[in-house]
Amino acid sequence: MSVLEVKNLTHTYGGNTPFVNDAVKGVSFTAEKGEIIGIIGHTGSGKSTLVQHLNGLLKPTSGEILLDGVNIWENPKEIRKVRSKVGLVFQYPEYQLFEETVFKDIAFGPKNMGLTGKELEKRVVDTCNMIGVKPEYFEKSPFDLSGGEKRRVAIAGVMAMNPEVIVFDEPTAGLDPKGREDVTEIIANYRRCTGATVIIISHSMEDMAVIADKLLVMNKGSLQMFGTVEEVFKNGDALREIGLNVPIVTRVFYELKKAGVPVPDNVFTVESAVKVLEKLRDGDGNA
Amino acid sequence: MLRDITFGQYYEGRSVVHKTDPRVKILLLILIIVFIFIAENAFSLGFAAVMIIITAIISRVPFGMYLKNMKAILPVLIFTGIINLFYGDGGKVLLSFWKLSVTTDGVYRAIFMAVRITMLIFVSSALTYTTTPNDLTDAIESLLSPLKFIGLKSAVHTLAMMMTIALRFIPTLIEEAEKIMNAQKARGADLENGRLKERVKALIPVLIPLLISSVRRAYELAEAMECRCYNGGEGRTRMKQMHMSARDFWALAFAISVCGGIITLNIFF
Repeated sequence: MSVLEVKNLTHTYGGNTPFVNDAVKGVSFTAEKGEIIGIIGHTGSGKSTLVQHLNGLLKPTSGEILLDGVNIWENPKEIRKVRSKVGLVFQYPEYQLFEETVFKDIAFGPKNMGLTGKELEKRVVDTCNMIGVKPEYFEKSPFDLSGGEKRRVAIAGVMAMNPEVIVFDEPTAGLDPKGREDVTEIIANYRRCTGATVIIISHSMEDMAVIADKLLVMNKGSLQMFGTVEEVFKNGDALREIGLNVPIVTRVFYELKKAGVPVPDNVFTVESAVKVLEKLRDGDGNA
Repeated sequence: MLRDITFGQYYEGRSVVHKTDPRVKILLLILIIVFIFIAENAFSLGFAAVMIIITAIISRVPFGMYLKNMKAILPVLIFTGIINLFYGDGGKVLLSFWKLSVTTDGVYRAIFMAVRITMLIFVSSALTYTTTPNDLTDAIESLLSPLKFIGLKSAVHTLAMMMTIALRFIPTLIEEAEKIMNAQKARGADLENGRLKERVKALIPVLIPLLISSVRRAYELAEAMECRCYNGGEGRTRMKQMHMSARDFWALAFAISVCGGIITLNIFF
């Protein structure tokens, strides 16, 4: 069942000035329920502009966005309801923290949706349980936390609205390897617990190979490719042409294959690479 | 939105006005402002207005840009205009109610004030459109340098540096504010509707992160400056040295003749 449908979306910045710029040109795609879609593209390819349309922060110059089959701009006064259904976590979300305590900050989103009292409290506690914000943090100031913890609290603030679609703009930017792993884990966990659709912008092909079901490739404002991870990463040459690449491990396997080692060319994650190599080793051992 | 603020924005160009030494431009601006107030009849003010508009034209900045600045002070203009309407104390009575009356003299005064304010905006816009903010602060530093003789040596440089940094960070802060506003809107914040009190309250989630990021930026900038051995103005040289040229003396001559014209017209009419 498709949750989100983008139809022929175009966005032009600076309509009446000499600096007219088509940030997004005629993009169409559909997101099914429970899918994780990765958006990849060079800097300035229109990824961020595209996702800001999904919750109505930007209004399309032309084209439309259907959420559960309804155009989100059908009733402009109700656009705030759309924003609680489509959560958007910006780049460096920790810079939006403002409340005195972690609890209050996470409660900001659900409170704006109209939740109060026990219901509000339950929502915040449930979200914290799900993504691992410990109760002893509730009364701390968000500004006393470490970078990784702040990021986790900020993400919790959006997840607490229980959106059915949640969009992340480079959620792991600026984190250490442990922090990146944690955030990836939180995202996967949210999908598992709620069955929500997840859309992630990322520069890391390696992260995308691990977490995404489908990939959407943007280039100069247009949609270049949209398909499963395998379909997209098989087009290594096309990706390189627009300044992207395939995961490092895929490149290694490509070279191995060229050198005559019998390996498949659909290896995109380290995990699957280990399996393939083990099989190869064991196979050799048996022979 | 926030991006519409144009006051103090540089408009790229290569006209004579752009190339004039910024120090000369600042001094001439002050001189002309004083003379706009010295002009006391329709002829001298009209003469000043024509000269200022000529300056605006040779600056090759589109006229619409000047009018855009006018829009911001339109309420002030209308307000002073209306007040002045009732302050006339002579001439034919055109309209009167209660204790107030509008006379031909009042209308004249109102128009006179409106033209005066318009000219102030035009002439100062002519400076800010044709001079980059950095040139402006450099020029102010250079003009204030005599203060070092009265023991304010480091203060002048510090002040100029503070102005440069403040101007440099205006676009950054605007961008940051927009980002935070979007982030809070994405969390369901309502920044557009509601009564005044609710709207002010709705700004807290924007202002606090903005304040925190400004302080963080200030620390980072201070550290970066110290890493490059910045230690104030002493012994510091400039990449762009300002020199007076023939063009600047022509500008000076033009301004002085305008002032002379204003005085002459003041006396003879």
